[in-house]
Amino acid sequence: MNAISEHALDALRAGDRRAIARAISAVENDDPRAGGIARAIAPHLGRAHVIGITGAPGAGKSTLINALLGELIARGQRVSVVAVDPSSPISGGAVLGDRIRMGEYGAHDNVFIRSVSSRGHPGGLSRTTGRIVDVLDAAGFDAVIVETVGAGQSDVEITDLADTRIVVCPPGLGDEVQAIKAGIMEIADVFVVNKAELAGADATVRDLSEMLRLRPRTAKVVPVLRTSAARGQGVAAVVDAALAHAAAVGHGRRLGALAEAARAAPRAPGAPMGGGSVSGQRSPHAATHAHIHSAPRSAERETEAAERIARLAARDPFVAGLGLRVASGRAGHAAVTLALTDAHLNFNGTCHGGVIFALADTAFGLASNSRGLVAAGIDAHIAYHVPGMLGDTLTATAVEVSRTRKLAAYRVDVAGADGTPVASFTGTVYLTARPNEPDAPAA
Amino acid sequence: MNKPIDDAPPLLATAGEEPWREDYAREIRAEKAVRNRSGVAIKPLYTPRDWNGERFAEDIGYPGQPPYTRGIYATMHRGRTWTQRQLIGLSTPADYNARLLAIIAQGATAVSLIPCNSVYRGYDMDEVDFEVLGTCGVVLNTVDHFDTCLDGVDLARMSCSLNDPSPFTLLAFLLATAKRRGVPWNSIRGTSNQSDYLSHYVANHMFFRLALPAARRILVDHIAFCQRHVPQWNPMSVVGQHMQQAGATPAEAMGFAFASALQYADDCVAQGMAPDAFLPRFTFFFDISLSFFEEIARFRAGRRIWARVVRDRYGAKDPRSWRMKFHAQTSGVDLTRAQPYNNISRVTVQAIAGVLGGLQSLHTDAYDEALSCPTEFGARIAVATQNILREEAHLTDVIDPLGGSFYVETLTDEMETRILSAMQLVADAGGMCEAVAANLVQRRIGESARRFQQAIESGEQTVVGVNAYQTEEDRSARPALARPDPQRMRSHLAAFAVHKASRSAATVTAARDALARAANDARTNVFEAVIAAAEAGCTHGEICTTLRREMGFGHVQALV
Amino acid sequence: MDIRPKVLITKIGLDGHDRGSRLVAAHLRDTGMEVIYTPPWQEIPTVVKLAIEEDVDVVGVSSLATDHLIVPKLVAALREAGLNEVAVIVGGIVPDADEDILLEAGVARVFHPGTPLDEISAYIREVTEKIRTARVSA
Repeated sequence: MNAISEHALDALRAGDRRAIARAISAVENDDPRAGGIARAIAPHLGRAHVIGITGAPGAGKSTLINALLGELIARGQRVSVVAVDPSSPISGGAVLGDRIRMGEYGAHDNVFIRSVSSRGHPGGLSRTTGRIVDVLDAAGFDAVIVETVGAGQSDVEITDLADTRIVVCPPGLGDEVQAIKAGIMEIADVFVVNKAELAGADATVRDLSEMLRLRPRTAKVVPVLRTSAARGQGVAAVVDAALAHAAAVGHGRRLGALAEAARAAPRAPGAPMGGGSVSGQRSPHAATHAHIHSAPRSAERETEAAERIARLAARDPFVAGLGLRVASGRAGHAAVTLALTDAHLNFNGTCHGGVIFALADTAFGLASNSRGLVAAGIDAHIAYHVPGMLGDTLTATAVEVSRTRKLAAYRVDVAGADGTPVASFTGTVYLTARPNEPDAPAA
Repeated sequence: MNKPIDDAPPLLATAGEEPWREDYAREIRAEKAVRNRSGVAIKPLYTPRDWNGERFAEDIGYPGQPPYTRGIYATMHRGRTWTQRQLIGLSTPADYNARLLAIIAQGATAVSLIPCNSVYRGYDMDEVDFEVLGTCGVVLNTVDHFDTCLDGVDLARMSCSLNDPSPFTLLAFLLATAKRRGVPWNSIRGTSNQSDYLSHYVANHMFFRLALPAARRILVDHIAFCQRHVPQWNPMSVVGQHMQQAGATPAEAMGFAFASALQYADDCVAQGMAPDAFLPRFTFFFDISLSFFEEIARFRAGRRIWARVVRDRYGAKDPRSWRMKFHAQTSGVDLTRAQPYNNISRVTVQAIAGVLGGLQSLHTDAYDEALSCPTEFGARIAVATQNILREEAHLTDVIDPLGGSFYVETLTDEMETRILSAMQLVADAGGMCEAVAANLVQRRIGESARRFQQAIESGEQTVVGVNAYQTEEDRSARPALARPDPQRMRSHLAAFAVHKASRSAATVTAARDALARAANDARTNVFEAVIAAAEAGCTHGEICTTLRREMGFGHVQALV
Repeated sequence: MDIRPKVLITKIGLDGHDRGSRLVAAHLRDTGMEVIYTPPWQEIPTVVKLAIEEDVDVVGVSSLATDHLIVPKLVAALREAGLNEVAVIVGGIVPDADEDILLEAGVARVFHPGTPLDEISAYIREVTEKIRTARVSA
């Protein structure tokens, strides 16, 4: 019996603790239900803000996470934590004591904590962790915190799952800042110097800031914050920085092209999936394989395009005003979401057609401008299939279907949260030679 | 083959160490390397080559003279016997009082009071599950309860040892009771048992404890207050027993206990107290394991180390500062559930080691102590054991009778080395507070515990009735749990509710607010504020909750 | 089937002596199990939440003093939360008369002081296999 029952899926999405825990066990152990779970939750991914927290032992990560939990709960969020512990190499067993260090808020109703050891998972620890993050994402948590111990190679891979990556340092590193693995320095979106009440904290903040200053100017802005997690100081600023970062780059970065396409695909068989490197066949393991294959070959260019899309969206007043959010993007592709509220409804109580058009058009605009040149829309059409309903979250996924020297055409599928096709949009742009970000290098 | 006696080799020709070694090697069936619990290698024989008394004057000396290796008093047990301090605590204050008066009638010379685990944890009786109330100690939450516990006891004459976690509410209740009875505080004698908060951080985890910095401050406030107002009270009881029960070796337990004591002494000096003012009131509490000679040697070495350290480090001039006074309890961890009567023999061996080791006060476990709160039957045997050792076996006729033994003196030196090594580990980490915050001590103890467990699992260390000499289980030897009478406990609870309701809410609130203010003002003596709160009618739980809120709670680490 | 039991080792109630629970947790790890370990003084609702989220097979309660008296409350709370197959075992000091009460309340087994650690891990493995097999065929 490989499929997951409707009931179990509903329970999971409703946040039923047991259903979530059971689903996690299934994907963790790669048992027969794992494939069915992955398939069933695939359309429901990309909503959660995934926060990776890593750093050397002794930095006080668990205390910091406990404080972050408190802050996030206070802001009304439902938060889950995946605490990844090392295992005993000889027997493969492990003592997972980390969650109890997040004791205070770990017992809160709006918090779900799962401990994971690095015992022989088929496919590796980062793959398993990715699947667990997916389950928690589908279960509707606003934030999924992934905590890894240490700063080794597998920790770098795991933090790759995150939208926002926080690196925690203890004070007093001094010259040893150099000793921090290069991989960690590169991936950090936010640095936190914890135990700031101790001597050496100032020096560490200075050293980190100095190291960041030496990086190329186009490199992203990485704040260096200080906290005294045990005293609850500085934690709100960390949450603010994480949320600001997420607003810029979006949620669900880990999901990549394959899963994007799998999510957006209409249920009707035979419907084409989209261009690029996505295969036409919707493989049952699409969602899971995304984690293995999601590291694109031209990694830097993809990241660049994604970051450009984020920047363009961030400076679009209409995007902010309507409540649109960039879910993911890469060259020639963009996915944008909108959670429908009262303000979006028409006189019939369903989503205004103009709103759906705006959503699709935004994805169209970002996808066509992702390569750095101003792309001007010259033609657009939309067909509405079913009404958008209050409370639903619509996702518009734009894919490039054709590009010549001067013209490019895009198809945008708008779907509800459960994958139901809501509208289909097509658009054509005229490609100019002007950069849409005069100060940034072109694609 | 029968050799005629005339043909036997002459004795003198085969005398001496070398011939003995040869005979030994030839006759021993399987030579096993032996190490005691602290890891010292133990030989089959000790001779003047190991110890010849060269340094007798500097290292051994005489009882009552530094370095006190032979004992802290000139007369030791021959002059004044050790205090027979049987720990008791159970059920309601009235039940406790009855048991206490009975024990006193039987000859006990001091009071000891163990409160219920709920009190240890900082709760009032109405804040915990009913089932666990009063099973291991007396349920006392107010001054009135304390007054009842010690009804009929002359506070000016009886020394009281209280198991009293920070913030020392029980002493506060005692002082309030004394005031009611018109007994001046400067005649109150006793000990704040186990006031060593670091030992509760590291092992045992029984006592309510505030966050480390808060516990640190309250202890110093406690010591300072007692020095001024309750001068005959011992506010400082440094505990090696908890760590040893948690698995530390005897040397580690003593070394870490001394390191804690140094931390506390440093903190007192930092507060401006003169060493000779507070050191004489430092007492120690150690475990006595079944490792007979190791324990005797350890206590002798301990006295020597302490005398030298306090003189060198603090410049203490008063001989009373140099003396390591200690209470000892026979180790419950060595007792078994299987064949429980065997525990009587075990306790006897442990007690002898403690007596020969020169303790000042002794608690002998009842044979069923490993299983439950001891029954009257078991407790009586435990007390009788002490009387037999003293009066039938005449163990106290000679002071430090093992002094001069080639083995014991060598072992004393070896134990000294290992104790100092444990102290050095802590010193290198920057002191006991630092070492505990870095989990160094806990990890070390855990390693020793694991090693010992492996020795038992592998059979290397025999435990009679458990991994050797097992027999069919005899359930009759295992007594049922002594439980408090549920009716009486419910009445006690009901009376407590009535009492709380009858207080002036305004007075209580004002008292708690004053306590909270004191907690946040570094210049105030928090213990003094605790006494004021107790006198104003605050309950133990109310006092603990207030301080916990203001000063933070010391959680237990989840380390394996 | 490579069974890797997931075991919660915890202490509820008032007692704080944790030498035994630490030794058991370390031993179970050394035999290849995943152990969620808590320090003493856990509240029953916290233990239940933990057992659910970590999807444990066995809950092991270390009890000295008289804390075993509230283990039946824990068992009831686990069952009420829907954790009907999770096996609850108790290790520590339990008088004979109380052992029967615990077993009747749904505790699977009581381990007394002096029990070899291997016996505990072997039992956990056995009971986990039963639980997982039953779950698959359900």
